[in-house]
Amino acid sequence: METLELANTTSTPSVNFQAATGHLELNGESYPENSFDFYSPLLSWVREFLDTSTVAVRFKIRLTYMNTSSIKSMMDLLDLLEDAHTGGREVTVTWYYDEENDRALEMAEEFREEVTLPFFVLPNPAA
Amino acid sequence: MSVNLFSLRERLGEAGALIAFSGSFSHSLIEELGVAVRKYLEIEHVQKSAMMDVFSVYVEASQNVRNYTSKKLKEAELHINASSIIVIAKRDDHYEVNAGNMVEQVDVAELRERLEELRLLDKAGLKALYKEQLRRDRSPESIGAGLGLIDMARRSTAPLEFEFAPVDEQYSFFSLRVTV
Repeated sequence: METLELANTTSTPSVNFQAATGHLELNGESYPENSFDFYSPLLSWVREFLDTSTVAVRFKIRLTYMNTSSIKSMMDLLDLLEDAHTGGREVTVTWYYDEENDRALEMAEEFREEVTLPFFVLPNPAA
Repeated sequence: MSVNLFSLRERLGEAGALIAFSGSFSHSLIEELGVAVRKYLEIEHVQKSAMMDVFSVYVEASQNVRNYTSKKLKEAELHINASSIIVIAKRDDHYEVNAGNMVEQVDVAELRERLEELRLLDKAGLKALYKEQLRRDRSPESIGAGLGLIDMARRSTAPLEFEFAPVDEQYSFFSLRVTV
């Protein structure tokens, strides 16, 4: 399976999804013109990856800003991983938040409340 | 017509405007103004949380305007689309994000009802509504998630303020103010 790599733009994060290692990363800010269009290929990739391999999934998220339609798409992505986790797949999500921004922690916590998979919320050392 | 931009600028100044744009919204414009807003607030040494609240409300408000006008108002009605406006203002120690656009009369009642509902909810009620909407299926004709207004209400330090000014049989002008 191909890796999925995208460079960041002002309003879209960089994407680095590695099928061989199961390392998935999103970095940057997310408020695309159309979040559904941006996240659809990511969701398809993750769906195929979950279906075609058994590699443990490590999803690292460093998003300093997300608009609400990106939040909706992120929920869809986390739901896929949650289903895989429920089905026995090893999945961990690590959410790095900007310590200077109280809302960033709140947003991470609100995602964590929606899933049961191992979900770590850590301050982002690079922020 | 006189070319007196000074009086227009003075009116904006009275409103405390830091950044104002009126015209047709594009995605690249939303990005550019957003970068400008953040630069401005950084220079002002505004706390990161407050800065991101202003930025976030600005993004949601302007994307709502853009999504509505690009979906509803066709090219033939470019003058309607071009009457959209966003004003980010500072008043005393808080910031205001003001957004305005034409809405079709048929949409006014539903939008008014949603806003009235949000005005009645406290922070816990808004969070519950937000979570409920997060779990609702996306409406097929919408490119948004139906979360924007709720998110703005959650970040706002005062209830959302709004007004519908009738323009003609077909349109009203919708104004929204979010105080951060």
